[in-house]
Amino acid sequence: MMGVDVNKLGISIGGKSIVRDVNVHIGDGERVGLIGSSGSGKSMISKAMLGLLPINAQTEGSVILGDTQVVGADETVLAGLRGRYVGAVFQNPASSLNPVLTVGKQIELPLKLHYDLDKADRQARVSAMLEKVGLDATVAKKYPSELSGGQQQRVGIATALITSPRLIIADEPTTALDSITQRQIVDLLVSLVDKAGASMLFITHDFSVLARATTRCYVLDGGRIVESGNTADLLEHPQGEQTKKLVAAARELTLQRKQNRDD
Amino acid sequence: MTRNNEHSASETVRTNNAPANMGTKASSKFTVVLRSIWRRGEGKFALIVLALWLAVSLLSLVWTPKSLWATDGYHVWAKPSAAHWLGTDGTGADVFSWLMAGARTNLFIAVLAVVFAGALGILLMSAMVSRSSALSNVSVVAVDALISIPTVLIALILAVPMGASVVVIIIACGIGYGLNLARIARPQALLAANSDYVASALSYGASGFSVIWHHILPNAMPTIMVQLSLSAGTAVLAESGLTYLGVGVPSGVPSWGHSLATSVKFINVYPLTVLWPGLIVTIVVVALNVFGDVLRDVIDPVTNPELREV
Repeated sequence: MMGVDVNKLGISIGGKSIVRDVNVHIGDGERVGLIGSSGSGKSMISKAMLGLLPINAQTEGSVILGDTQVVGADETVLAGLRGRYVGAVFQNPASSLNPVLTVGKQIELPLKLHYDLDKADRQARVSAMLEKVGLDATVAKKYPSELSGGQQQRVGIATALITSPRLIIADEPTTALDSITQRQIVDLLVSLVDKAGASMLFITHDFSVLARATTRCYVLDGGRIVESGNTADLLEHPQGEQTKKLVAAARELTLQRKQNRDD
Repeated sequence: MTRNNEHSASETVRTNNAPANMGTKASSKFTVVLRSIWRRGEGKFALIVLALWLAVSLLSLVWTPKSLWATDGYHVWAKPSAAHWLGTDGTGADVFSWLMAGARTNLFIAVLAVVFAGALGILLMSAMVSRSSALSNVSVVAVDALISIPTVLIALILAVPMGASVVVIIIACGIGYGLNLARIARPQALLAANSDYVASALSYGASGFSVIWHHILPNAMPTIMVQLSLSAGTAVLAESGLTYLGVGVPSGVPSWGHSLATSVKFINVYPLTVLWPGLIVTIVVVALNVFGDVLRDVIDPVTNPELREV
């Protein structure tokens, strides 16, 4: 099956160290969080897992997906891994969908790449997937610009999940959405990932979202893991400086949200 | 069940439950684009001129009012009359017939030059936005260097071994416009290449070719189409220029440039024979430019809502 082991991962670009000595383990079927403020190196770690780091990036250590070493792997090995075993949901749904392709076409593309299906089969699967993410089958004919942010992110999730990957990397999938939609998207991701028995790495800077999405998490600061453990515990008893800050920020936001709702 | 709420609230529900049908897409998209162009005044003008050009080209293959080789020795440089609608040239040949026949040569040149330029331009554009920095750097420098060679010079060089021929014009225009196309389409392609949707495509395992075909090309297409229709206009102009210089269409082959080149020496005495081919070239080039302009507005599903209904 599909566990992930990141050992002593280090990433530097142009001599500047971005991620240092990162160890992350994701068990099979586990939902794990990676939390940190902007610039802490979260996205770099997810890119390293997909083998999509910038060409000038230098990496050390290892990222092992299942039994494949991703760091320094051949492009053909990576292409076979992506989609089939790893899928990614991105931060900004508006820009991560191609503006000139219809929604149906975009969800169909990964299927076309990885499976030998005829057109009718593919379209049936696209319709089924749309339904799974809570969209009408007619959405397939629309262009991304005709959808709301929440709907666009549902399409993003559908694109990532249509090939049934074993590991979903969700790179701040809710950051660009409003708070109500955020919760819906997180709940949708969690239920789909659990139903498929897949694992998930959920990247965010927002503890309140993380608690909903994951059971265990790593706190990242300045490219290093500063704390890790059960998400609920960390939220209750943050130890490190950075964790406290992030928890405080989440509390404030949640409180404000509650106040706004009371008004 | 909150997600169902969002779904029903923000969705503009369409009730037909037919599965997404992409089968007849290509043909219907083409019709919608044509209809959108037709709906605009200037688009109508462009379409009519281009349709006439095509119709006359085809017609000239089977019929012209007078045979191209029938010369009326008693009526050289004749004024327009019932016998010769646009008069005759210095050999007494019918100007109208020659212009009709010229249409097909110019159409042939324009179409092939555009196809060649399109293929070369798209290939170079893809290389310029390649993820391999070696390939992209080399191709950017190569295009920048080659673009400094004027099209006329390329034609003159080609004419040395090949002589005056239609092929010279097509290759010279193809190279020149292809390089231009690559450079003009590059920013758009680069924007797409660095976009999140390409990152997303790479994350599900899309190959370089798939990224170019499904993501970069469709996004650069409006720019490419406009540039190619402008190139078609320039190819018509280039044919006239190169034929005048003696490296274009060989004598005996009808073309608008040929009609211009043979009569331009006598412009002071018989200005009308220069006016006709000049007028046609001008109208066709304007129509192609207008066509490109309108095409840019209607070909993009983001700016043309009609395309979304397809």
